[in-house]
Amino acid sequence: MALDSSVSVKQFLSKLDLLKQGAEARVYRAMFLGKPTIVKERFPKLYRHPILDEKLTHRRTVQEVRAILRCRKAGISAPVVYFVDYNSHAIFLEDIVGSITVRDHIASTQLSQTKPGEQLDLLAKKIGQILARMHDEDVVHGDLTTSNMLLRTSADNGEMDLVLIDFGLSYISALPEDKGVDMYVLEKAFLSTHPNTEALFEKLLKSYTASSKKSTAVIKKLNEVRLRGRKRSMVG
Amino acid sequence: MHLTQRLELFPDHAVTQLLFRDVKNAAELRKKAMEGEINGALINPAMIVMPFQVLVAANKAVHLQKIGKMKTRSLNSEIIFNLSPTNNISEAFKRFGISDNDNAVHIVLVHSVDEDHVADTVAKVDGQQLQVDQVSTLTDTDKIKKLFRVTPKEGNLLDAVVCRMATKDVVAQH
Repeated sequence: MALDSSVSVKQFLSKLDLLKQGAEARVYRAMFLGKPTIVKERFPKLYRHPILDEKLTHRRTVQEVRAILRCRKAGISAPVVYFVDYNSHAIFLEDIVGSITVRDHIASTQLSQTKPGEQLDLLAKKIGQILARMHDEDVVHGDLTTSNMLLRTSADNGEMDLVLIDFGLSYISALPEDKGVDMYVLEKAFLSTHPNTEALFEKLLKSYTASSKKSTAVIKKLNEVRLRGRKRSMVG
Repeated sequence: MHLTQRLELFPDHAVTQLLFRDVKNAAELRKKAMEGEINGALINPAMIVMPFQVLVAANKAVHLQKIGKMKTRSLNSEIIFNLSPTNNISEAFKRFGISDNDNAVHIVLVHSVDEDHVADTVAKVDGQQLQVDQVSTLTDTDKIKKLFRVTPKEGNLLDAVVCRMATKDVVAQH
């Protein structure tokens, strides 16, 4: 019986455009109930023990969905969840059409503008604010990169709306250490993807500090983690 | 007038929605639905923001029926249950189902693709049929916001409602 519906989902997915395949999941694009939808399917990992695989996959799916709802409730833009199939571990989410990743935006802005700094300052400020709000809700994203942030033109006022996606590694935590690591992950991803953006990231952190009520402890931890990282001198 | 959507995940199934106002025989309709003469769910349109919300509930209901994990006893009651933000079944029926003295009704029929019950169903309703997307004219936004605990910063009401419907099983009920 459980097979029945898994078969339906698999049949459905087999006819779709595969957007990308990661180590964790396959992402497809489809129309679902009349809406453009992204389907994220966490496929079984054969290298894992099957019971563990099922538990892990289920847990990851649940955590992702909870994090999205929690963020949305706090006013952070994240894709709307339309349907979750806990059998095939597939999440059907809103496809944010007409958006580009922050990664692409920064890259193209750097290429085309003579003074990219000014354009991007506002973006850095916004990112800082949104992450502050997210961490204040005790949501740790787990995979903060500029590819996991989308910019979409808001319908109401034509302003750019920042949407966070891919909550696959998220969890709930109040610990400044976890949030500090979250920011560290972003810093590493940011600086390695976008050359010469140290000042921009600083602005992001400034905005974060100003917008978050619990930022001092987080930034403190961030500094500690920075010292801890790879290829660091262990001179205390 | 009516709206039919095929379920992509269950290609032989389709969902047809019909909307009526100035309904004079709500009690009779309820009876017919309970006895199976109308094989559909009768929903209170005041609680519906847009038809998409109903599709999400119906899709989930069919999915759960297929895997034998419905929480209620029938597909139609499952649709009504899925519309509710809580896991309390009787509360769901009370808030999202219709009562004998209601004068508007949103009917949802899940059927196979080649079946057509529209004419039959319309004939049974003593009321004025509306375009289904006009349900927004009957929506009680404040009531929905209150029940679903939607905060102003969440923006779009439909998104807020659908997201909660879809994640209800794993998010602890406030």
